[in-house]
Amino acid sequence: MTNLIIFLVLMTLGYLVGQMAEKKHYKSIIQREKQLRELPTIASRFPPTDKLFDQHLVMGNTVISVDYFKRFIAALRNLLGGRVTSYESLLDRARRESLLRMKQQADAMGAEYVFNVKYETASISKGRKNAIGSVEVLAYGTALIASGSGNEV
Amino acid sequence: MKFEHREIPEGINVTDVHPLKELAVLLTGAAILIVAVVYILGLSAGFLAPYIPFATEQRLVASASYAIEPHTDTDAERYLQQVTDRVVKVMDLPEEIDITLHYSAGDTVNAFATLGGNVVVFRGLLAKLPNENALAMLLAHEIAHVKHRDPIVSLTRGVTISTALGVLLGFSDLDLMGEAGVYTMLHFSRVMEQKADTEALQAVYKLYGHTQGATDLFQVIHDWHQRSGSGEGVEFMQSHPLDQNRIKNLNALASSNEWPQAGGITALPQSFLDGLKQSSNDIQDE
Repeated sequence: MTNLIIFLVLMTLGYLVGQMAEKKHYKSIIQREKQLRELPTIASRFPPTDKLFDQHLVMGNTVISVDYFKRFIAALRNLLGGRVTSYESLLDRARRESLLRMKQQADAMGAEYVFNVKYETASISKGRKNAIGSVEVLAYGTALIASGSGNEV
Repeated sequence: MKFEHREIPEGINVTDVHPLKELAVLLTGAAILIVAVVYILGLSAGFLAPYIPFATEQRLVASASYAIEPHTDTDAERYLQQVTDRVVKVMDLPEEIDITLHYSAGDTVNAFATLGGNVVVFRGLLAKLPNENALAMLLAHEIAHVKHRDPIVSLTRGVTISTALGVLLGFSDLDLMGEAGVYTMLHFSRVMEQKADTEALQAVYKLYGHTQGATDLFQVIHDWHQRSGSGEGVEFMQSHPLDQNRIKNLNALASSNEWPQAGGITALPQSFLDGLKQSSNDIQDE
């Protein structure tokens, strides 16, 4: 009985707090994406050749953890199979947040573009399956800064 | 070439399912799965475990240092043994099974049958019994468990099911789902009790020619449950059927078999009652 109560409290807390945090985060993500729209991020390895650019590595990094509710749903999914939808939004948030941080960095450097953008995802919980349920998402790319606008390398 | 960054359309990388709906669907699915697994394993254990030879069961207990009360030769125990012998005689036990009765002077209101044909009765329960018929019912019930090989079946069932649940649920956050398995397992336990009741009532009938007094046992247990405030609650959460249901089932059984439900009760001998009191005093002196 006590177990059930603890479980229900954790689930309710996980659900309410997790949902609230998620909503808030998405709102901020969408807003900041709009702010940084003028800075294109491109996956191509071939930068434009019409102009001379200085190149600089930029990166954005996010570590995000899963709440009790999402983790329970994912554990049930482990049993029955299917899409782990509860983690989809989690990872979507982490990727977009990382890209935003990378763009912020590039923007602060006065970049015109970020090329060759890539993502790396790493699970922090390696070897400790249930103790930590966090992932790290790293977005990185080459910022192209118009020559002469910064220090020569 | 022009490079620009357009607004990202929402909802492509994220499946739009309400989390609570997802939870409901998954919980139902997992519960059905667990109940099915436990039920199938429970049935198989019930089918296979009786093939374990009784001698193996006895060896199993002999190697485990069971904390069973040592025998003393008091009036109370002699009388208990006497009733047990009479009950055993009418119960048609298979040849290899023998019953060892243990008396414990403890206050516990209980009696149980365990591996190797060991039956333990506690003074706490004996002192509440109103007549010999109820005592015979109690002993016959426990002996019926041994006859049906219930202790070894329960052990097999418990080990198999907990292993399966361990593998299935792992050491994840899902261990709570194991509750669904526990409640399914209790179903088997209640079936065992019911069968033991049936067998015991038959033994009481054979012994006395009527079944009067037999249900007094459950009335006693029921009264004790009420008084101790350990309310019985919901049947599916219990290892035993509810007391009132047991009495009802037994009365129905007696009438359907046309066993007389009256015929006079046999009183417990005074020496036995005195013996119980004596052993209780002994325990307090220690």
